[in-house]
Amino acid sequence: MSPILSIQQISKSYGPIQALKDVSFDVPEGCVFGILGPNGSGKTTLLGIVLDVLLANAGSYSWFGGMEHSEARRKIGALLETPNFYHYLSAFNNLEISAAIKQMGMDDRLRVLRQVGLFERKDSKFQTFSLGMKQRLAIGAALLGNPKILVLDEPTNGLDPAGIAEIRDLIRKLNKEGITIIIASHLLDEIEKVCTHVAILKMGRLLLHGPVDEVLHSEDQVEVRATDMEKLQQALQMMSGIKKIKLVDNTLQLTCDTDIQPFQINEFCISKGIVLSHLLLKKKSLETKFMELTNN
Amino acid sequence: MIALLAVEWLKIKRYRTFWVLAILFLLLLPLWNLEIANGLIKIGGGGKNGINFLSTAYSFPQVWGNLGFWGSIFIMFISILIIIITTNEYGFRTNRQNVIDGWDKMQFYHAKVLLLIVFSIIATIYLFILGIIFGGFNSGSLSGMFSEFQQVAYFFLLSLDYLGFALFIALWIRKSGLAIGLFLLYSMIIENILKSIINHFTDKPYGNLLPLQASDELLPFPLMQFAKAMMPMGPDISLTSYAFVAMCWCVIYYFAGRAILLRNDW
Repeated sequence: MSPILSIQQISKSYGPIQALKDVSFDVPEGCVFGILGPNGSGKTTLLGIVLDVLLANAGSYSWFGGMEHSEARRKIGALLETPNFYHYLSAFNNLEISAAIKQMGMDDRLRVLRQVGLFERKDSKFQTFSLGMKQRLAIGAALLGNPKILVLDEPTNGLDPAGIAEIRDLIRKLNKEGITIIIASHLLDEIEKVCTHVAILKMGRLLLHGPVDEVLHSEDQVEVRATDMEKLQQALQMMSGIKKIKLVDNTLQLTCDTDIQPFQINEFCISKGIVLSHLLLKKKSLETKFMELTNN
Repeated sequence: MIALLAVEWLKIKRYRTFWVLAILFLLLLPLWNLEIANGLIKIGGGGKNGINFLSTAYSFPQVWGNLGFWGSIFIMFISILIIIITTNEYGFRTNRQNVIDGWDKMQFYHAKVLLLIVFSIIATIYLFILGIIFGGFNSGSLSGMFSEFQQVAYFFLLSLDYLGFALFIALWIRKSGLAIGLFLLYSMIIENILKSIINHFTDKPYGNLLPLQASDELLPFPLMQFAKAMMPMGPDISLTSYAFVAMCWCVIYYFAGRAILLRNDW
C-alpha cells in the first residue's frame, strides 16, 4: 500500500530547544497509526507541522502522495492539542464555520453531533461546555464530511472513562470503514488497544517505527528458580532458544525466543535432573517496553 | 473572495460585540453631528456669545469635510472592532482551526483584509447618505452636492488606513487588551509626539506623513480651514501627496501583516 502521509527529515526548533530532529516515516493507508512519546517529545509539534500551523525548519511531508496541502487538509479531520472554537457561538454554529471552510454541505452537522453525544446541547454556546464536551465537539468537527484521514492529538483528554471507551470504539469502527487514523498519545493503553502501527518519539528523535507487533515485539521473560542455582544456570546455557540469562535476586531471568513455552523449559530441566521450584512466564507489557525505550 | 467573506460573516453575525460597536458607530455619528449642527455641542468659538463656526458647516459643500472629520474620530469604534475580531482568533486559537480545516494562512489573512475593506465601503456609503441628509436639509437643495465630493473618497482612504493599521497591530500583538491599548496610545499620543518632533526639525511638516496622520490631514478639523484662510501657515504638503502617502501606508500594512503571518508559527 502506498503511504497516505509521508514525512521526510522534518526538523524543528523553538529557539535553543530542538523539538524535532530529522524525523522521517510513512503512514500506510488504512492503518491506525500511533505516535507515542513522553510529554514534550514532539508529538504535537510534528502534527502541527503536517497540518500547516507550525513551520518546520527543515524537511517536507506529503499527503495522499503529493496533493496540494490545503486541498488535502479539507479531506482530513483533525483535532490538534486543544478544541479551538468561537466561544460565543453554539456547537451547531461553530460546526457551520468548519463545514464552510471545508467546502461541504451543512447537513452533516447533526449526524456528527449525535455521534459524539452532543445533540441535546447543540444550541448551547461553546463557552458553557465542560472540558469533556469541548473535546467531544472537537472530535465531532473532525468527523464532518467523512474524512479519509483522522488526525487525533490526545483525543481522550478530559473524557470520562465511558467517553474514552466510546472514542476507542469509534476509532475501531471508522478504521474498519477504511479511514486512516493517526493518533498521538502518551497513554500507552490507548495506543496498545487500537493501533496497528506506531512511531515512538523521544526528545524530538524518532526512536523506532513500524507495525506494532514488529516494533513492540515483546520478548517474553521466564523466571526460574531451583535449589541449585549454579547447576540450573549451567544447564540452561545449553538449551537452544534461550537468548539471555540474568541472575537477579536468586532468580534466573530468561529471555527466550517466542516459540519457547514454559513447559519446554520445565521438560528440559527435568531431563537434566533439575527440579524447578519456581517457573513464571512474565509478559512484557508495552509499558515496560516503552520505559525501556525512552529511559536510556 | 465571496467564500472568504461568507465565513467571516458566519463568525461575526452572532457576535454581540460586533453589533454593539457597529450600532454605536452608526448611531453616534449622526447624533453627534446633529447636536453640533443645532448648536447643542459647542466646540471652538462656541460659548454663549461666540459664533458657532461648526454648526454652519453642514450645507454643501462643507458638509463632506465636516462629516469626514467626525467620521475619522468615530472610525475608532470600527478599528477597535477589527482588533477584537482578529485577536479573538488568537485567543480562541481558531486561526489554527481555520487552517486545519483547510484554509491556507493567506486565505485567513485575506478574509480579514476583505472584511476591513467591506467595513470601509459600508462606512463610506453611510457617510455619503448622512451627507446627503445633512447637506440637503441645510442647503435646502441637492445642488452643489458634488463639489468637494473627493472628501468622501478621502474618508474611504482614511478608513482603510485606520482599519489596516488596526489589523496590522492585532496580527502583530495578538493579545486583545495590549493591542487595543497600543492602538489608542499610538493614535492619540505617540503619533502626536513623533509628529511634533519631526515637524520641529524639518522645513516642511513631514511629521504629518506618519501612518494615521497622513489620512487625518485629508480631513482636518473644520476650523483649521478657517484658520488657514485667515493666516497662511508656511509651507505645506499637498493633499494629493497625503492621499498618496496614505495609500502607501495601506500597502505597507498589507505586506507587513503578510510577513508576520508567514514567518510565525500559529
